[in-house]
Formats: sequence, C-alpha cells, structure tokens
Amino acid sequence: MKAFRLDDTKSASATAALKQVDSLCPYCGVGCALTFSVDEASNRIVDVKGRDGAANAERLCVKGRYGFDYAMHPQRLTQPLIRKPGSYPKGPLSAISKSGGGARKPGGSFDYDEVLPHFREASWDEALDLAAGRLKEIRDARGGDALAGFGSAKGSNEEAYLFQKLVRAAFGTNNVDHCTRLCHASSVAALLEGIGSGAVTNVVRDIERADVAIVTGCNPTDNHPVAATFMKDAAGQGTKLIVINPRRPQIADFAAMYLQPNPGSDVALYNGMMQVMIAEDLIDRDFIARRVDGFDELREIVSHYSPERVAKLTGLPAQDIVDAARLFGRAKAAMIFWGMGISQHTFGTDNARCLIALAMITGNVGRPGTGLHPLRGQNNVQGASDAGLIPMVYPDYQSVKDPKIQTKFEKYWGVKLSPKIGLTVTEIMGAALAGSVKGMYMMGENPFLSDPDINKVRKALSALEFLVVQDIFLTETAEFADVVLPASSFMEKAGTYTNTDRRVQIGRPALTPPGAARQDWELICEISNRMGYPMKYASVEAVFDEFAACTEEYKTLNYEHLGSYGKWYPCFDPKTSPGERIVFGDAFPCGKAKLVPAQISAPNESPDRDYPFVLNTGRVLSHWHTGSMTRRSHALDTIEPEAFVEMHPDDAAALRLRDGDWARVASRRGEIQLRVRVRDRVSPGAVFIPMHFREAAANVLTNPAIDPIGKIPTFKFCAVRVTRLES
Amino acid sequence: MSAAKRIKVTIDGIEVSVPEGTSIWDAARQAGIDIPVLCHSPRLRPVGVCRMCVVDIGQRVMAASCVRLCEDGMKVDASSPKVQKHRKMLTQLLLSDYPEKSQRELKTGDDQLLALARRFGIERIPFADGAATGGRGSDSSSPVIDVDHQACILCDKCLRGCNELQHNDVITRTGKGYTARIAFDLNAPMGDSTCVSCGECMAVCPTGALTNKPVAPVGAGRRGANR
Repeated sequence: MKAFRLDDTKSASATAALKQVDSLCPYCGVGCALTFSVDEASNRIVDVKGRDGAANAERLCVKGRYGFDYAMHPQRLTQPLIRKPGSYPKGPLSAISKSGGGARKPGGSFDYDEVLPHFREASWDEALDLAAGRLKEIRDARGGDALAGFGSAKGSNEEAYLFQKLVRAAFGTNNVDHCTRLCHASSVAALLEGIGSGAVTNVVRDIERADVAIVTGCNPTDNHPVAATFMKDAAGQGTKLIVINPRRPQIADFAAMYLQPNPGSDVALYNGMMQVMIAEDLIDRDFIARRVDGFDELREIVSHYSPERVAKLTGLPAQDIVDAARLFGRAKAAMIFWGMGISQHTFGTDNARCLIALAMITGNVGRPGTGLHPLRGQNNVQGASDAGLIPMVYPDYQSVKDPKIQTKFEKYWGVKLSPKIGLTVTEIMGAALAGSVKGMYMMGENPFLSDPDINKVRKALSALEFLVVQDIFLTETAEFADVVLPASSFMEKAGTYTNTDRRVQIGRPALTPPGAARQDWELICEISNRMGYPMKYASVEAVFDEFAACTEEYKTLNYEHLGSYGKWYPCFDPKTSPGERIVFGDAFPCGKAKLVPAQISAPNESPDRDYPFVLNTGRVLSHWHTGSMTRRSHALDTIEPEAFVEMHPDDAAALRLRDGDWARVASRRGEIQLRVRVRDRVSPGAVFIPMHFREAAANVLTNPAIDPIGKIPTFKFCAVRVTRLES
Repeated sequence: MSAAKRIKVTIDGIEVSVPEGTSIWDAARQAGIDIPVLCHSPRLRPVGVCRMCVVDIGQRVMAASCVRLCEDGMKVDASSPKVQKHRKMLTQLLLSDYPEKSQRELKTGDDQLLALARRFGIERIPFADGAATGGRGSDSSSPVIDVDHQACILCDKCLRGCNELQHNDVITRTGKGYTARIAFDLNAPMGDSTCVSCGECMAVCPTGALTNKPVAPVGAGRRGANR
C-alpha cells in the first residue's frame, strides 16, 4: 500500500520558509510587481512570484521570472578599480571591442581575463578622491561644459534626481542625458509640443475598454510581454487591433488588420488615414472645435495624401489604408500604442506628431478606452525623464532656458546654475571626439554597445581625458575608464520607479551588495561632496521627498502612500485614491492641443547598389539592451545564446544563404559576422539584427544621423550589404 | 448597464447576498468559508474538472461549486462529514499514482495536493499504485521548467494559464485513458516547442507536475569567461 510521510516531505529549502521581499521586475517599462524569495544565509534569490500589481495581475514574462540571477553572477564588481599606468593611452581592452574585432564567435559574454589585468583594486577613498579630484580639475580649468554625465533609465527616480543635480549643481553644466535619447526622445518632444505632457494619457490595461487599438512600431510580445497579454485579452473580447510594423510582430496573429508598410513610410500612412477620415467625415468635429488648434493646416497638408498616392509610398494596397482609416475613425473609443519603430528615425518626431493628430481629430483622448501610449522601454525611463535626466529641462520638464525657473532651482539647490541647454547623448559623443567634452561620469550606461556607429563611439571614449564608470559589471564602456566604481544592482537597493503607465512603485532590496560594492545614490553624494557641493541625505526617502517637492506630478506622493502597490501620478488624494488612470479629460496642460502636420521626408541613408538592404534593429524576448544583465542570466542566455540576422527567404535564396549559415553584414560604418535566420516575418529587402550581442554588435552598422528635434538616432533605418561567409 | 439582480443563498447556515451569476465557490469565499479546490483560482475561468470543491445542494449528485451558480434560496452544505468524505476519497484517488517525492514540495513547499492530504490526514492510499505498471514520464527539455507527468492531475490550469492568461497557445491535451496528459504544440518536447518560457503554467500548477528548474549554479570563476 502506498504511503506518504507528509511531515518529511517538506524540504528545508522550500521557499515558503524564506524571506519574502515585495518588489518589482528590473527589466521593462511595464513595471510588473513581484515577490523575491531570498535565502539570506547565502544571499541568493531562489524564486520569483508574480504579485497582483496594477500592471501585471500576477503575470510575468521570461525575463521577470527567470532573469534575476545576473545579480548573483561571480563577475559582479566588488572593489573600486583604477586603471594601471601601463594601460595608457586609453583604448579598448578586449579583442571584441577593438576595431574590426567582430570575429566569428558563436557567442559569449564579457571576458574578464582580457580586461581586469589593466586595472588595480583600490580603496573607496582613493577611487572617490581620484574621480572627484580629476572631474573638479577639468571643471576648474575649462568650465563645467567640459564635463558631462550619462545617467540611466534603469536607476531609480532618486538616483536620477541626484545624478542630474550633481551634473547641474556640482559640475556646473546641463550636459546630462540618458538612454531616453535613444528611445522615446522624439515621442516626448512631439507630445510636449502637441499636448504639453510627455507621459501616457491612459494605462495599457484600459485597452479592454477600447473598440479599436493601433499597435504600431512596436513588438509587445517580445518587448513588453506582460502588456501584450492584456492586449491579447482585449482582442479576444472584441477590441479590434490594427497592427502596423514592417517586421511582422507576433501580436499580428491577434489583429483585425495587419499592415506591413515599407520601412520609414509612417508619415505617409498616417497622413493617408487622416485624409480618408476627413474626407469621409469620420472625425470628431466637436472635440476639434473645443480642444484642438491647427486643424485647417493639418487638413490642407493631409489632403495631398490620397490612398492611391500613399499606396505607392508605403507599398500597401490602397484599400487597406481606407479600411484601417474607417475602422479607426468609426470606433467610439480607440487607443494608440507605439514603440521605437515610430521614434527611432530621423523623422521620429514627425511620426509621433502624426499619431497625436490621429487621436486628436477623432477625439480619442481623455475618455475610457482612448489615449496615446508610447510604450516605455526601460523600467524607469519615464521616471528618469521626470526627474530631469535630460539636458533641456530640470525635474518635471521645467525648462533650463527660463530665467524664472533657473532662479527657482538656484534657490532650491543653493548654487548658481548654467542657463545653457546641455548636450544630448549623441552630441556629447561628438563633443568628446571634437575635444570640447573632456571628462565624463557614466552611471549604469553602456554607450559602447547602445549608441549608433560604435567605431565613432570607440574614438570618442578613447579621446576623453577622464572617465568614471559606475556599474555592476565591467562593461565594454568600462574598458575606456580611468576609475570604475562598483555599484548595487536593482535587487540590492530601495527606490521608486515610474512605469509606462505613470505608476510610481517602490523597489525593495532583497540582497546585500557583494564585497565592497555600494549604493549608487551614496556614490553620487560622495563625488558631489568631494567636488565641493555638499549632498547629505538621511535615506532614499529623503531624496524622494526633495525630488517630489520641486514637481507638480509627484508632490503629493511619499513612500508611506506608495506602499506595496504604488500610485499613478497625478494623484490628488494619495490617502484614498490610486491616482489617475486617464488624464486630460477636460483640458491639456498646454490648453488646446496643437496639431503639427508633417510631410514625408527621405531617410538619411537609402539603400543603393552597394548597400541594397534596409537594416532594422531591435530586441528579442530573452535579452535586454546591451546584454550586461541578460547575458549573465543562465536561463536567458541559454534560450538565446547568439546573434543573428533575420532575412526574407527570397533574399536568402538569391544570396545562396540557408538558415544557420554565416553571413557578413556591412554598412558604410563597419561590418559584423553572424548567423542567418531565414524568416518571412521581414519583408523582402529588409533585414533585422538584435542589438544585444557584443560579438556582432548591430550598432557597428547603424547610422548616427539624428532627428533634428528629438535628437534620437535612426536605429530603425540604414543601408547594409549582406554577403555569404564560407564556413 | 443595470446592476445584476441580487439573490440570497445559505451556505453552512450563513446567509449570503450575491449578484445573480455568482458561483457557489465565490459566494462561500465572500462568507469566509474556505472550499478546497485544485483546478480553480480566481485568476482563471472555472472549469470544474477536479471535483475537489464539491458541495451538497440537496440534489442527486454533488455539485462542483466553482462552476455551479447560486440560485435564490439555495441551501448549500459545504462542510458536512458527507462532503468531507467525498473530498477525502478524491484526494486518495489523485494520490494513488502520485510520485512519492513531489518536485513542488521539494522546491517551493507549496504542493496543494499534499496540503489536502495533510488536511484530511491521509497517510495511506487504499488503492493499487497506478504508476506501478509504468509511469507517465517526464520532460526536462525546457531550459527553465521540469515536467513530471506522473504528478499531473489533469486539472488543465496550465492550459488556461498558457492559452487564456498569456495567450501563448502552446499547451494542450493528448492521449486517452491513463495515457492522457498535457502536451506542448503537437506533442513536442517542451524545449523544442513554441513555448516562450513565461512560466505561467508553472505558476498556476497546483502539484509537482510543472516546477522551476533550480537556479543554475554559476559557471566559471569571476575572472574567466562565462561559459
């Protein structure tokens, strides 16, 4: 007879007996709430459970559920490092980072054997004195504008606030930026111009109340997987999705319509849809009269975009354009979601302007099931931008050019501030190369892999007189550092993070940092204090309070109110309200919305005989950005261990390439070698390469040309050549 | 939309007022009465396959409270010895070919079937071990999840988690009779299927059938390459 000895079956390591820490997922902008099970004795996270957060309802994706082990990787930095005298002049240290170093390698993360011998371990005092001392020297000799700082959208609101304060108050410059520049800078520029606010007007999950939703220039099942599950929920319950993307995203399987326009033809498509809607009177004239300026100019411009003309420009059947316009125009409530496929073009701001106009002329904002939602990439790109990690604005988008605001912050921070707009990410790299920026402080960013045209970034980083890198691992960027400061991972710190829905949530520490690694916010204070601008805070909460007090959107919030589940901002009564899901029901922050019509413009670099393919770059489900985290996660790197170039079967056949063959992909800026994936989700003439893989870095190929307004690089469009590599 | 009509039911002597269309299980929860269940959770569409939530509503057979809706004036017996006896029998039947070591109990300590065994004080199973004639196998091909078909009670929570919460449409059922089991795509090994490793199936599974692989021991030393 079978028997169960029930008291013995409980294992001592069962997670139920371990410390449970309610926190957040460190990856994307969806902001999933989760609980870490922590074995305190070994300082390890052993399990993750989804929590009933506002954005995820206990759901998680592969990164959130299985991608946490990077924090416990043995390559974590545990001691401050100083570059050895023999390792000057500075340049890349690993073979892969050297020019032409993209050797054919099946994959691999950072090799410490190559890089670590060029550094020596140092005490905190020595490293901090050196870092702050050299930055101060450069500031005193050449002025604040010779310095610059890159913060990170992976850091907390508190870290972002302190970092921009350090650069503005202690460095004396507005040269502070972060990866929002590479992500939604153009969307934010268009939103600020059009409605006076860069944040979303409605939350993802309100799609359940929409009749129709446009999901364009994004691939939510890979990049916002939990948000995608709610979009698919809605589709199953009758919301009609119009999915638009030159590379077929999996969510197209759930769509009422899927449109595959030519890369870079967005403006034509949306102008064409608006032309049809206006001609067929599918617009909301009352809303336009009450809430919108500039309709006549828009109508004039879009009148030139007949479905037939747009069909030629986009490669879509004219009837599809008409059908999409009617579907959207007839909806009682419609939402628009967009991603980097809209923003990462030299005409990214124009693309976003068209989407804003589409919502405005149909009155689709400020009500249930309506709204504009640029899907944020990083877990805190919304918050880092809100906190002022942007060269043009102080916290809460207050312009550095406005003398009254400058005076306000001079009083608030007790120091003279620069009235000059700072440089953006791409401009700082250019200035480093030109010699006008001499010293930099990088907190948690890895521009060597994330910025366009790596060969140019390599020269720019080598040209810097002094570089401090603060990170949790040695990164490709750290190879160019004079001082490396070991910092804390997401799982080791407390802080608030603002997700794509404007929900401010608290991340709580589950682990203690390894070795001598320290909290990022404390390191910012240490540098500032040593540069002669004292920063003293009792706790992270005190930093939050100082940040919140100089903003409108956060001023009612504090840690006590945020609690375990957070609040949407604005939140008028945090004691009783979860905050506002939907904003701008009555008016926009700028009063009436301003329509800015856009005309089609040519990409900066079109395909030609030598470089016949259009390269699109992006992400895959299992990896994150420059891979410094996910490639150190055992599960994630096992699932997706190597780089690839995706191409259409017809193109592959013409080049005698089969699935799994090796190819060389070259642009005017460089070349990489990687395997081919033959897939019909890309259209003929287009190829796709994910950005995560250092050994075949897509950004060797990309074009550093930028959008004139958002200053965002055109990661989604450059011309490349693909050739077969014999094995 | 007008609010649903409210009706009254009596569960274990407690009168509860609920909107029409409420299940007995939800009404009981509202009244603070805990009806055990394996195949259901408030996050999922109720299907009534495990029968652990049966209650006596005075009819010929017991009703699965997760799918049976309340009726006005209904009297529900959710805890009598008769109902408990049924649940205990079901638990014994489910345990009759259950692995002696549940991966869920070992790893996270929250095996819901063994929790029921504890609740009903079951130590011995008065039936032949179904697995003695050859088990239903396992699948460790996924990089993140271990599948132990022997611990599967066919509650279909994983199907609903995969197909209705995450909409990945990977998990299905295959086989007949004792060989019936969950399957991935067209019966591919999990690691070769279109599974995207979101882990929802593992999160909703009540038994040791779908569990996380242990967090992998980290590779080479600090200075060396990762692999």
